[in-house]
Amino acid sequence: MSASQSAVRSRAEAVKVSRTFDWMILFTLFFVILGGYHIHYMLTGGDWDFWADWKDRRLWVTVAPIVSITFPAAVQACLWWRYRLPVGATICVLGLLLGEWINRYMNFWGWTYFPVNFCFPSNLMPGAILLDTILLLGGSMTLTAVVGGLAWGLVFYPGNWPIIAPLHVPVEYNGMMFTLADLQGYHYVRTGTPEYIRMVEKGTLRTFGKDVAPVSAFFSGFVSIIIYFLWHFFGKWFAKTDFISDEDL
Amino acid sequence: MKLIKDKVAKLSFVALLVTMTAAIFYTPTASAHGEKSQAAFMRMRTIHWFDLNWSKEEVAINDTMSISGKFHVFAGWPETVDKPEVSFLNIGIPGPVFIRAGSWIGGQLVPRSVSLELGETYDFKVLLRARRPGEWHVHSMMNVEGGGPIIGPGKWVTITGSMGEFTNPLTTLTGQQIDLETYALDSIYFWHAVWYAIGVAWLLFWVKRPMFIPRHIAISSGKAASLISANDKKVGMAFALGTVIMLGVTMGTTNEKYPVTTPLQAGLMRGIKWIEMPATTVDVKVEDATYRVPGRAMQMTLTITNNGDSPIRLGEFNTASVRFLDADVLEDESGYPDDLLAEEGLTVSDNSPWAPGETRTVSVTASDAAWEVYRLADLIYDPDSRFAGLLFFFDEDGNRQMTMVDAPLIPSFI
Repeated sequence: MSASQSAVRSRAEAVKVSRTFDWMILFTLFFVILGGYHIHYMLTGGDWDFWADWKDRRLWVTVAPIVSITFPAAVQACLWWRYRLPVGATICVLGLLLGEWINRYMNFWGWTYFPVNFCFPSNLMPGAILLDTILLLGGSMTLTAVVGGLAWGLVFYPGNWPIIAPLHVPVEYNGMMFTLADLQGYHYVRTGTPEYIRMVEKGTLRTFGKDVAPVSAFFSGFVSIIIYFLWHFFGKWFAKTDFISDEDL
Repeated sequence: MKLIKDKVAKLSFVALLVTMTAAIFYTPTASAHGEKSQAAFMRMRTIHWFDLNWSKEEVAINDTMSISGKFHVFAGWPETVDKPEVSFLNIGIPGPVFIRAGSWIGGQLVPRSVSLELGETYDFKVLLRARRPGEWHVHSMMNVEGGGPIIGPGKWVTITGSMGEFTNPLTTLTGQQIDLETYALDSIYFWHAVWYAIGVAWLLFWVKRPMFIPRHIAISSGKAASLISANDKKVGMAFALGTVIMLGVTMGTTNEKYPVTTPLQAGLMRGIKWIEMPATTVDVKVEDATYRVPGRAMQMTLTITNNGDSPIRLGEFNTASVRFLDADVLEDESGYPDDLLAEEGLTVSDNSPWAPGETRTVSVTASDAAWEVYRLADLIYDPDSRFAGLLFFFDEDGNRQMTMVDAPLIPSFI
């Protein structure tokens, strides 16, 4: 068979090969994203995502969406630009959450015995669904950046509230008031994570009283828009075929 | 010749593979906390732990034990380490093998970071409840922001029983009785599973059709618009609206279920009470200090003046949690860890009692393998080659006085 001849001999065979490629690419893509996104999120979101006593209404709400919109933006850009597939954000978050759950269950609980109700990951899925559906419905990366990026920040806290609310119930302990999450942080000793490292409830949003989560979420959404723009360019750059010369094709 | 070379190469490769495979199966337990690796000057010149007591050496699951004692915050705190203005009384254990049921400094509960004063001495207590069976090295520890963990002495404690028996019962301020060990776990798994399933459904909707190659060909040939159908948009709209509605509903039901929630509690605790130590009546001047590397011994020339009204003798030199005792003056009865105790490690050239008003210059030698074992000898390689420690003097009635020493240290290599 010469180089100019087709590798398949019928349309049915072509479809079969194409589907095989689909599954191979999807499988590889999923686990590459899982690894890359997971490392990125551990390095940037880190403790905010690891521990229940870091999941506050100011900084967690602000930081987690900003640092997590990166890979979804890049993968969306690639999959939409090249394939019109509005699944970039969802596939990223599915990969990230699978990796995180394996890590939390096998390592945090299995090796070091931190209870899972203290080290569960944040839920990013609602934002991912909205990012993908806005891209599908709008067909525009700019619209997705502005509306989707804002939504990504805004829905983060509501998407996690049913999970973390039980841990924000107050408890009296030795004459002081804690949330149950605070008490988890105190009870389950982390030798390398002293209390002062915890970056929670810091900042200057004091004029909003107790309702700071929506303000933090809006701010997070605005910054997520900018980060989306930046990372979608990375995705487009990564999806270029300029690296391969025409002669090689 | 080539055949032999090939065989050697092949066998070497096999040996390498066998070695690497064998290494995978060698996974010793890491039980210590790197206390020996911490810079010697950090351990000598920051927090001095003394009078430590581990209430038990064996404890059953769910039972409690405590570590209590005192720590002195060294006035000559090194410039290279941030001052202990934000510090946290921690405990050095390999993960949550105990839960920290309580910790106090100066009688005050300290679940948060505290501000400590240089030159002051504090008493502390950490109450631990056994959670995971095994033999664990349990250290006192002070984390200092900008300085890192300053670890105190450690002692082996055995936990017996089964981890499955451990419970952490609490009653919330809303009257709910819970076991914090498993509390809300069902809800965490449930909501993650629900949202994950929605994500998988969205992905399956797209992957059930031809994906990469045909779609790429369609886009390359200008037919991108044909790839998204009206039905796709309807499904997309349903997912988007469904997500928003579900968020609203779950927020509402959660708020109904947990009407009382509070923000995470944080903040620095100031005004921690220190111990009002009696004014010392012993004046100690360090004339010189050398560390003799071959002999694993530190020698100090001290001019000691007794300004009190009863005779005193030097009984102990304590540095970096290693205790050098003069056995004629002091015998440890606290069960202090053997590896940190040099029961006859302190030699004084003339340790006859200093009479009231007497001044005498003596040569004091602190020698023990602990200098090497605990890598205190590495002090000579530190950026600020000074030593520091606590000297304990005793009168005839056993009354104790504590004095700090802090001076340059000159190494001697011969």
